[in-house]
Amino acid sequence: METTYLLRRKHKIYTLAILGLTLAVAALAFVCVLVGSSDMTFAQSLAALGKTGSAAQIRIIWNIRVPRVLAAVIAGAGLGVSGLIMQTTLNNPMASPSTLGVSNAAVFGANLSIIAFAGGFLSTGNNLNNYTVGANPYATSVMAFLFAGASILMILGLCTLRAFSPNVVVLAGMALSSVWTAATTILQYYATDVGLSAAVVWSFGDLGRATYRTDAIMAAVVLAGFAYFMVMSWQYNVLLTGEATARTMGVRVDLLRFTSMLLASLITAVCVSFLGVIGFVGIICPHVTKKLLGQDHWITIPVSALTGMLLLLLADTLSRSLGGGSALPVGAITSLLGAPFFLTVIFSGKENRRC
Amino acid sequence: MLTCENVTFRYEKSGLPVLRGASLTLEQGQIGILLGKNGSGKTTLFKTILGIRRPSGGAIRFDGEDLLKMPRRERARRIAYVPQDIQFGALTVFDSVLMGRVAYFGLKASHEDYLAVEKILRDMGLESYARRNVEALSGGERQKIAIARAMAQEPKLMVFDEPTGNLDIRNEQLIIREAKKLAREKNISILSSLHDLNQALAFGDKFFFLKDGVVKYAGGPEIVNEDVIQDIFDIDVKMVKIDNQKVIIGGNNYEH
Repeated sequence: METTYLLRRKHKIYTLAILGLTLAVAALAFVCVLVGSSDMTFAQSLAALGKTGSAAQIRIIWNIRVPRVLAAVIAGAGLGVSGLIMQTTLNNPMASPSTLGVSNAAVFGANLSIIAFAGGFLSTGNNLNNYTVGANPYATSVMAFLFAGASILMILGLCTLRAFSPNVVVLAGMALSSVWTAATTILQYYATDVGLSAAVVWSFGDLGRATYRTDAIMAAVVLAGFAYFMVMSWQYNVLLTGEATARTMGVRVDLLRFTSMLLASLITAVCVSFLGVIGFVGIICPHVTKKLLGQDHWITIPVSALTGMLLLLLADTLSRSLGGGSALPVGAITSLLGAPFFLTVIFSGKENRRC
Repeated sequence: MLTCENVTFRYEKSGLPVLRGASLTLEQGQIGILLGKNGSGKTTLFKTILGIRRPSGGAIRFDGEDLLKMPRRERARRIAYVPQDIQFGALTVFDSVLMGRVAYFGLKASHEDYLAVEKILRDMGLESYARRNVEALSGGERQKIAIARAMAQEPKLMVFDEPTGNLDIRNEQLIIREAKKLAREKNISILSSLHDLNQALAFGDKFFFLKDGVVKYAGGPEIVNEDVIQDIFDIDVKMVKIDNQKVIIGGNNYEH
């Protein structure tokens, strides 16, 4: 069988890239679990991971660090892959998981919940105990998700009325984003200072809000999206040849666009609703992947997921070590960390992209 | 056999008619050339045949089957498109050609699809390109890959939109020769637009002159004459015979 596909045999670099990244993610995740702001030693952490040691230590590892690391892995994968799919389906390198205004809508929903209804009950998430007693910790996430979902449906609805032109989608997304931002600004103008600070802090992405339950919900959505994207990988490849040509090759372009954008936006909506805004992962990871490995979606989808995980894990580790006890917003770190690397790759004069 | 009967197309918003009842017939294995001024409706007629645009009226049939009612994948197994501005994405040549098989495999390529692509690459002398990045190739090479991709669809009809538009004179000839060879060997029909009338005469069996959204003249090389060209393109030309081949020269005399 090997000889028959001689003309197709792929560079070993794909296997190496996927293997290497998987190992890196696993290693980094392991380190993340063992390192944190509590004064546990490495050995104590390791012991607690094996469920031996003091109850407090086991609690720190299993109730705080593990769900947090899982969140980084799940959201990183989700945001990386959604970005890639958005860029392909909209034929726009600037498209990101937030293109349809999802993040801004989620921020508005959360602000509404915090400022108008709960009066700033939300903590930054590092301390699991200071939600106001009786307030539902999910209320803000649910509200954020409802608005994000509404935003997605609004744009996709508008776009099905008219032909699904990618540029129209991007522009409509921008317009709607600015509406949500404006509404958020007005809301914040009338907020109490406690409410305002809680609302602003919410919008900083923070993996510390994750619990096993939120991780499970995110994982379900991300896995469903990932599976769909992988199954459709050849259809995305054909889409790279342009909308008209793809149609003549038998691809149902409008349907593919609709389902892909819906899933990619849903992934983003769920992640943002639980964790706050984590920007730039969806832009950096797919672009670096494409630049280095070409555009075959069978490869770029898993690699974008892996690089997303890696970036978020790295950012989280840094945010926890730089914050001196309380973690810095991970969303800021992803951009700080990713942007220089991104620029290096974009401006590097490597002409012959592998593929 | 491709038949277009009274195909009309108008833009929904402006109501501006582009095609006003275009009709043409192309027998299996024939090479048809569509000629006309810019804006005469050539590209729109192609798009309706390819299913990129839906005509406002008329019928388009292929071997008696209604193309307008045919599912996309079925149509893609009969008609392949070689566009003018060829995009591929950063994929290998092999994978770019494999794309043509999507109409058959849908989601995941099978053993047969790989073999089919290998055969096409060998037949077209492209083996050495197989693992190269298609985006790093020259215009002529990319055009050839686009033809290979179209061949992977195992079409009965190939539609070329200005196949030589971006090529130098040598590559123009190579591409036309390649296309003609494939059409003859595999009994594939070709419908192509071309600007260069001499190229058209060398390439085609049948000629369709489009003016104001209708096919005004249709027929073999004999219909290509000074009067028809004058009527369609509004220019004066001279037709001479060199080595028993029609050659069109000139245009209006330029003032010096």
